Amino acid sequence: MGITCEEVWRDISDYVDDELDQKQRAALEEHFAQCRHCAAVLEGTCNVIRLYRDERVLAPPKGFHDRLRARLNQKLNQGPHERIHPSRRAVLAWALAAAAAVPLGFALFSAKRFLLPGLEHHSPTGSPDSPAVKGLVAVSPDENNKIFHIPSCPYLHGKPKFLSVEEAIREGYSPCPICIGKRKPEKKG
Amino acid sequence: MTDNAESNARNVRIRATEENLISRILDGENDLFLELIRPYQRTVYATLVTMLRSKEDAEDVTQDVLLKALDRLHQFRQEAAFGTWLIQIAINEARMRKRKMRQGTMFSLTSAADDDGAYVPKDFADWREIPSEALERSETREALAKALALLEEHYRLAFILRDVNELSITETANVLGITRGAVKTRLRRARLMLRDILSPGLQQGGQVGLAFKEVRNPWE
Repeated sequence: MGITCEEVWRDISDYVDDELDQKQRAALEEHFAQCRHCAAVLEGTCNVIRLYRDERVLAPPKGFHDRLRARLNQKLNQGPHERIHPSRRAVLAWALAAAAAVPLGFALFSAKRFLLPGLEHHSPTGSPDSPAVKGLVAVSPDENNKIFHIPSCPYLHGKPKFLSVEEAIREGYSPCPICIGKRKPEKKG
Repeated sequence: MTDNAESNARNVRIRATEENLISRILDGENDLFLELIRPYQRTVYATLVTMLRSKEDAEDVTQDVLLKALDRLHQFRQEAAFGTWLIQIAINEARMRKRKMRQGTMFSLTSAADDDGAYVPKDFADWREIPSEALERSETREALAKALALLEEHYRLAFILRDVNELSITETANVLGITRGAVKTRLRRARLMLRDILSPGLQQGGQVGLAFKEVRNPWE
């Protein structure tokens, strides 16, 4: 046998993902042909993946799609006036948070120009306890450019750190131009 | 395990269909949104139920996330796959809610460090495959959900992104903000632990509180 069982266990997951080079791959295959235990570990690993990929596992409860449809219809049927309401609250909360940060001086002053235009277009991000209202923003820990995002911005990568707007500005972060800054005008229709 | 050329061709087709749907939705055909998100309903829910460990919360948050995605659709940039973008929104939302639930606690209860030590998979004398037909039984589905919940969050999350959402290792690394190497380490550990938890030998030992621990082989 070319390689030990321990080496196989170390590489078995990469083998399944086809992440090994030709030589390692061949060594594992040779081992599987001769070692019953490792062959069973391989089969078991593939079995686990196959089971969890199945649509029936961790599936939404019955009626999920209908309830989603109902919520979507309700949302779409709301007139533009009703839809503007939560966004006004969001603007107010953000403005209050920004006002509280005034003593922080210049940092805030320069950031405000980015913050406020975006907020005027803030679409209804939903519930009154949404992060925008609480003034919580998120930053990626590993980003070199210091930018803060709304917590569900998809351009926020990694495990985010949550801060208040004031803290973020104090620490030298500026607002994400995508989720907070320039937002395209609301779509027509 | 996968035929790359075939799956690439399939991804290109899916992407073209999604791009078309997205531009029509942005032009006002909002009804098409349900069609756009239908393939991701389960993966978003699965990710959230795995992160929040509550079915009730997971349904609500899944619907919130999907509706938020509609609001933010104009921010979607085509450089990422739509499914990856969606799952990033879901993960950020779940993290934010979890943070709010334990406000005041500034540290995580579990260590996020990777345990890079060697993992010894258990040797089962009579290992037998769990066939897909076993998933007809709610006990089996429940056992799979419970087994996953036993893993620490960083293992759980890598597994759910790669093996349930079927993201690539690179996409998983991008979403989690970790290296490909770290994704592979977590995947290896998660997969081997799940195999050990779910294999019949251990259930007979009754060491894990799975729903069917008293049943010898519930899928038979």
